[in-house]
Amino acid sequence: MHLRLIRTFISASAQEEAAYRANFFISLLHSLLNFATGLLGLGIVYGQVQTIQGWDYASALAVLGVYLTISALRGLMMGPSLDSLAGMDGEVWRGAFDFTLLRPVRTQFLVSVRKWRLFALFDLLLGLLVLGTAVARLQVTLSLYPLAAFLLALAAGLLVLYAILLATASLVFWDPGLMVGWVFNSVFQMARYPVGMYPGWLRLILTWIIPVGFITTVPAAALSENLAWPLLAGGLAFALALFLAASLLFRAGLRRYASASS
Amino acid sequence: MNTNHQGGLALIRATWLSWMQHRSFFFILAFGWMIQPLIFMFVWATAAGDSTIGGLTRGEIVAYYLTLILVNQITYSQTNWTVGDLIRGGDMNRLLLLPLSPLYNTLASELAGKVVYLTFVLPITVGLALLLKPEFHLTAVSLLAFLPALLFAWLLRFLWGYWLALLAFWAARADALLAVQDALVFLLAGQAAPTLLLPPALRLAAVILPFRYMVGFPAEVLTGQLNSAQLTVGFAAQLGWLAVTILLYQVMWRRGVRQYTAVGG
Repeated sequence: MHLRLIRTFISASAQEEAAYRANFFISLLHSLLNFATGLLGLGIVYGQVQTIQGWDYASALAVLGVYLTISALRGLMMGPSLDSLAGMDGEVWRGAFDFTLLRPVRTQFLVSVRKWRLFALFDLLLGLLVLGTAVARLQVTLSLYPLAAFLLALAAGLLVLYAILLATASLVFWDPGLMVGWVFNSVFQMARYPVGMYPGWLRLILTWIIPVGFITTVPAAALSENLAWPLLAGGLAFALALFLAASLLFRAGLRRYASASS
Repeated sequence: MNTNHQGGLALIRATWLSWMQHRSFFFILAFGWMIQPLIFMFVWATAAGDSTIGGLTRGEIVAYYLTLILVNQITYSQTNWTVGDLIRGGDMNRLLLLPLSPLYNTLASELAGKVVYLTFVLPITVGLALLLKPEFHLTAVSLLAFLPALLFAWLLRFLWGYWLALLAFWAARADALLAVQDALVFLLAGQAAPTLLLPPALRLAAVILPFRYMVGFPAEVLTGQLNSAQLTVGFAAQLGWLAVTILLYQVMWRRGVRQYTAVGG
């Protein structure tokens, strides 16, 4: 039943998107510029140095590839869905959230998957392209373990990102300001490059307090070096714990929600 | 041209007071603008380590980027968005009826915004400076040259944004152009790297195009990265682009107002 619902949401979103055709070219331009500035920024730095803290061009490129891929997946579904709940002009602000609450599905599922932005598939393509180039340059032969470790780490990274987005969206039930989400978006930019490139104190913050390093650096590291399996298992447990905590926060928010209208 | 300067000053004061009320919103915006230069400051500083990159030490890189963050904030101009919206929404009608040039209205929000943003950015920059130990080698020349470079940079960026915004008189949306401009500012205005560290082709583009003179140039001047020949060429290019921009603004404004026919406001 849930899969059928998702299919319906996808096709509804696709129709909605197709209604604004001029936006297509603007989106295309934005995607290409984002892709080009990311690559050129990295290229400029590695035009001057060979390695930074053990990260050579290929392994840093892998981090950028993971960043672009994960950002595309976020823009495909999680981002638009949660934005329509808690973003500017979202349901909670407008008081339209009552209708969502009344639907006969679990609310967290509904608010997380109902809006899709299919254009993000193009971003996904660009991200995978960068990732593929990085793997080719790394000159590693991808055997089963690194590949599985990469996919698991990527899944864990996505789960961490989802948990953070859900938690920040849940804050809307306490305070209609969007500040935390915006701050996170700015900090998330730092995930473009390996956390190893930042000074020690910042590396600690980006690993443990706002775990954006976990989202991109760890999966990319699984490609360029062998990730020890206890680290991988620990990462997955950490991601699950964050997911549960965010779900609890969302539920607490729902209980607090006092209808604004109707 | 109207010359009601007193009205202009009163407007600036009123706008500033209203901006201070929404402080936290603007603080977050300012944080967002800081993040790109911050990222590249950390990356370059780590890359330099204990040696140098292109002749710059870690401390000199930090000094450059901290200056750049301040310059970026001081020269940042929102006219791209605000003036364009005024024209599209028809609110320009009201401004055209006031007995002072609409430029004052924009100037008022610009100045108010700068003070608000700086109350946030200045303490953060000072904090980062204490933490990261920048190396400034200030000389009388670099200090004296910095102020005009900063002033021209601000004027250039403000008027450049203004003439781009005036495109709204003709085209409903100039988003595409603005997106390209943002990318160019990131690459060529000294954010991704000081002009000195860019690869030759990009460095040439940076020296020729106007974007470096809006942000990067004053920071290069203050941190003493330029010899006297580069300094002279830089100022000449900055003033040349400023003259071109003023001309563009005047042409666009005259033609635009003549053809502007919005109703309402």
